[in-house]
Amino acid sequence: MVDWRLFDPLFEYARKRSMWIVSFCTGCGGIEMPPLATSRYDFERFGVMPNPSPRMADLFLITGYVTPKTLKRIIITYEMQPDPKYVLAHGSCPLNGGIYWDGYNAIKHLDKYIPVDVAIAGCMPRPEAVMDGIQKMMELIETGEADGWKRYKENYEWYRKNQDELFGEGWREKTARRWIPWLMDKKKEVKEE
Amino acid sequence: MMETALKALFILLYATFVGFMFMGIIRIVTARIHRRVGPPIYQPILDTIKLLSKKSNITHGVIYDFGVLYALGATILAIMFIPLGNIGVLRAYGDLILITFLLEIPMLGIMFAAMSSGNPYAGIGAQRALLTMLAIQVPLGFAIVALAEFYGTFSTYEIVMAQQVSGWSIAHLPLLLAAIAYDLVLQAMFGKEPFDIMIAPGEISLGPMVEFGGKHMGILQIQHAIALFAETLFFSNIFLGGAVVTTFASPVLNTIASLAILLVKQIAVLLVATFMGAIFPRFTIDQAAKFYWKWPTIIAALGAILASL
Amino acid sequence: MINELMIIIFAPLIAGVIAWALDIKGVREAIGVIGAAVPLAYLVKLYPTVMGGELIQYNVTFAGFTFNFTLAPMGMIFAMIAGVVGLAAVLGIVSTARSSYEWLFALMSLTGVFGIFLSYDLLGFFIFWEIMTFGSFMMVLKYNRKASLKYFVLSVIGAYAMLVAIGIIYAKVGSFSFVEVYRAFSQDAALGMVGGATVFSRSEIALIFGLFLVAFGVKAGTFPLHVWAPDAYTETNQSYTAMFSGVLSKTGVYGFILIYMLMGYRLMAEFGAFRSAPAFGYIIAFLGGLTIIVGGLLAALQEDIRKLFAYSSISQIGYILVGIGVGTALSIEAAIFHAISHALFKGLFFLIVATIVYRTGKTTFADMGGLAEKMPFTFAMAFVAILSLAGIPPLVGFASKWVLFEAVISQNLPILGGMVFFGSAIGFVYLIRFTYAVWFGQRPTDLDDTKDAPLPLAIGMAILALLNVVFGVAPGLVARELNKVIGEEAITGTIWELNLGFGRYNALAILIYLIVGIVIAGIIYFLGAKVRKVPVTDTYQSGNPVTMEYNLTIRRNFFLPLKEALAFWLRISFDKLYRDIGSWVEDLAEVLRNYVYNGNAQSYAWYLAIVLVILAIWGV
Repeated sequence: MVDWRLFDPLFEYARKRSMWIVSFCTGCGGIEMPPLATSRYDFERFGVMPNPSPRMADLFLITGYVTPKTLKRIIITYEMQPDPKYVLAHGSCPLNGGIYWDGYNAIKHLDKYIPVDVAIAGCMPRPEAVMDGIQKMMELIETGEADGWKRYKENYEWYRKNQDELFGEGWREKTARRWIPWLMDKKKEVKEE
Repeated sequence: MMETALKALFILLYATFVGFMFMGIIRIVTARIHRRVGPPIYQPILDTIKLLSKKSNITHGVIYDFGVLYALGATILAIMFIPLGNIGVLRAYGDLILITFLLEIPMLGIMFAAMSSGNPYAGIGAQRALLTMLAIQVPLGFAIVALAEFYGTFSTYEIVMAQQVSGWSIAHLPLLLAAIAYDLVLQAMFGKEPFDIMIAPGEISLGPMVEFGGKHMGILQIQHAIALFAETLFFSNIFLGGAVVTTFASPVLNTIASLAILLVKQIAVLLVATFMGAIFPRFTIDQAAKFYWKWPTIIAALGAILASL
Repeated sequence: MINELMIIIFAPLIAGVIAWALDIKGVREAIGVIGAAVPLAYLVKLYPTVMGGELIQYNVTFAGFTFNFTLAPMGMIFAMIAGVVGLAAVLGIVSTARSSYEWLFALMSLTGVFGIFLSYDLLGFFIFWEIMTFGSFMMVLKYNRKASLKYFVLSVIGAYAMLVAIGIIYAKVGSFSFVEVYRAFSQDAALGMVGGATVFSRSEIALIFGLFLVAFGVKAGTFPLHVWAPDAYTETNQSYTAMFSGVLSKTGVYGFILIYMLMGYRLMAEFGAFRSAPAFGYIIAFLGGLTIIVGGLLAALQEDIRKLFAYSSISQIGYILVGIGVGTALSIEAAIFHAISHALFKGLFFLIVATIVYRTGKTTFADMGGLAEKMPFTFAMAFVAILSLAGIPPLVGFASKWVLFEAVISQNLPILGGMVFFGSAIGFVYLIRFTYAVWFGQRPTDLDDTKDAPLPLAIGMAILALLNVVFGVAPGLVARELNKVIGEEAITGTIWELNLGFGRYNALAILIYLIVGIVIAGIIYFLGAKVRKVPVTDTYQSGNPVTMEYNLTIRRNFFLPLKEALAFWLRISFDKLYRDIGSWVEDLAEVLRNYVYNGNAQSYAWYLAIVLVILAIWGV
């Protein structure tokens, strides 16, 4: 077979210059995306493109605070992305809880549940700051330091343990049993734990 | 034999490359309409390389893989039948109806692959794609009928040759009507707004494409590029006079000149679609069906009836 | 009475009777298959002779009537369809028959079909027509009384129409023989053209044509006489439906061609042409076009797998009628070609449905899903059938459809051209619905131990699938024989290539380049990283988790937007109209019973007196 290592610089360049974002805006930072995408900042110059499906996405933006409810979805979506995949945490909340530092229902350290490659501090970070974060991510991809997806594979037990500690064993099936009946029969109010 | 193989290879590479450029042009032009800078023109190639070089891929079974391969294979098949200037591998068999069918087949492959994943979004996407196809089939059929009846032949190549003598198709009233209808149909075949109901990003997460990732999506990007080239080429050939240049002594110059003329015509077709796509919002599926069953159908049927007189 | 033609016709019936009388499991299946295989073997043996231009004739005199049986090229082609699809269907019946009763009547209707294709006089034609109708009626009766009655009533209307038409012809011509009838009609045509006195007047010829239109239209399932078909196709043994839809409906098609053969000149001379098609043919073609659209749209909206294919069958018959209606040599060849391919792929489809129903015991889309993993062989067969019906080159469905398209459009008939185009799209639409709901998606847990097709059904499907591929890649094989039937080189070219003069189709080139294209795609595919198989629950639901306990596959009301868009048209139903007429008749009968036939002897005495008085006044 062909020795693909020869082409690695090309692949790294393509990965760097063509980051597709999964449009999964989990928090208030999602409102920073429209100025980024439109004529003021225009991240499409760097090949960054919002994309609805995680299957073909590279960059996962965690835009703001994370609750257990959204964390479940974040984990599921993250695991669906094909390698290599990168996570950009956006704002103070995923770092240390931000203004929700004493909130009973906010995740203070996202790093415990999925690996974060680049974190942008601020509440909220301005689009310039996000742009800077994207630039930083591109640098990391080029130097090969954006290896969150490798860390997640290697330390999967640890991440899994943290997730299960928070949600309890078999949380995926439990959640599925909760939301689908709700979808099928809207009258029944279902509480998310 | 060798010559045919070389020609086929040339057509394939040219179509792929120009198709990717077309995708880039669409993105740049849309960006400029939005008053953005937009990506470089080679951005779709970078995207495809990135997708193909993904380090993990998923599959939902044999049909999931085969459908994707079938889509690309059928698109390559279709491009061989359409006359490309002086070059043609199977243009003797380039029958209007055959090409019309061949341009639709890749979608069937994508549908099969998408549906085998079991994703409900893919199911809805397939439903919308099929209903869009059902809607466009009426004006499309009348436009093809008008062409065949006007020229008395089904061969695309002969239609191109006839246009060298009698002027472009759109210079004749019945075919002008057919061309207008076909251009409206083309908007849905490209999957551009206002008829991008089948992919509807943000609403049903790209519909049929939702489960494709990595190399599957990469192959579909190549397929999309070739299909874009094939559809614009077909339109330029049957309505805009194609290109058969014989003014130069050297055959190589003739070929280059005719490819250049075709390229201009194809880009013109593409730009019309892009402009329309950039300024319209999305229809719902029943609005699209009612639209296609009304104006384009009336225009195309009028063209067909005038052509048959 | 030992004659090849007699063996072809009666072998199935005799086998059916023996199978029914013996009723030993194992033996009756063997006898039934032999009964279906023998005619096919004889047909294959006689094939070169008949196609060489030699007619094989046989006369039987019975009760003062001479029945003439002739194996002519046209009948031969149709009999071959019946033989092949009949054998495949009988192989399916081996697996799915519930009792020996079904063997008797399935094979009886096969005898009827062979008889129709081999008869060379109107009386024999009519008798075998009735045998076929009776056999198929009994097959439906066993399963559903209401559906069978609907079928029966419409068949009886058709049969009476035919009987009246035949009666008129016999009264004027004095013979049932096709040869004599043909001679009388062509003489009439010639006489009519020079203004001489014709045997049949203009109104009589129109009446005969109308009656035949009803008679054959019922059997073929033409709009608006199609209402029996969805119920009857649905409510019977699904293996038998392969024969019902694949072969029995072809007798209607054969009937339409017979109108051309016998009365074509006369009708053409009398009614002239509409554009380039004969005017009477345009009626058939237009009805065919409506049949395509109505059948197709209704097929897309069905929730029952058997109903979907019943409507699809109606829709495909529409194509054949369009071809027949246009009436050129090429279009009739196209129609017969499509009749062959329709028998092949629709027979295959109904065997697939038979397998699904046999293995799962379910018939509605709502109960199915994810069967592709459990029934890979059946799915492969379904894949061939889907590609063939949807008209994907290089399969036989495309070849025949292509010839038909070109034949219609080259005659400058734009409206019919638009109709057939619409029909091909609607074919895609309902097939994808079938594919998605049955083969893909999440599988209901009660289908987890579904097995693949039983052996006889698998053999039956394999025969038909193989022919679908072979005739698709080498369409010239069929076209060459069709040229002999019509006696005109309408389709030239080699066995791989069809050449109509204004269009060419090369199936081999398509196959080669398709394979090359898939190989190129495959190379790209295999250069990429390895794939990992994920379960069907691992799909993107906006980040929500999925379990197998809840089935998210869209199986009910798949084409809801289409239903909404067509809501106005769907309210118009011919089925309902006929039912209303039926209830009016019932009411009328009720009124008559109350006031006239009231069972009172005194009233009857009064009626008698009144009749006598009237007769007396009349002076009898």
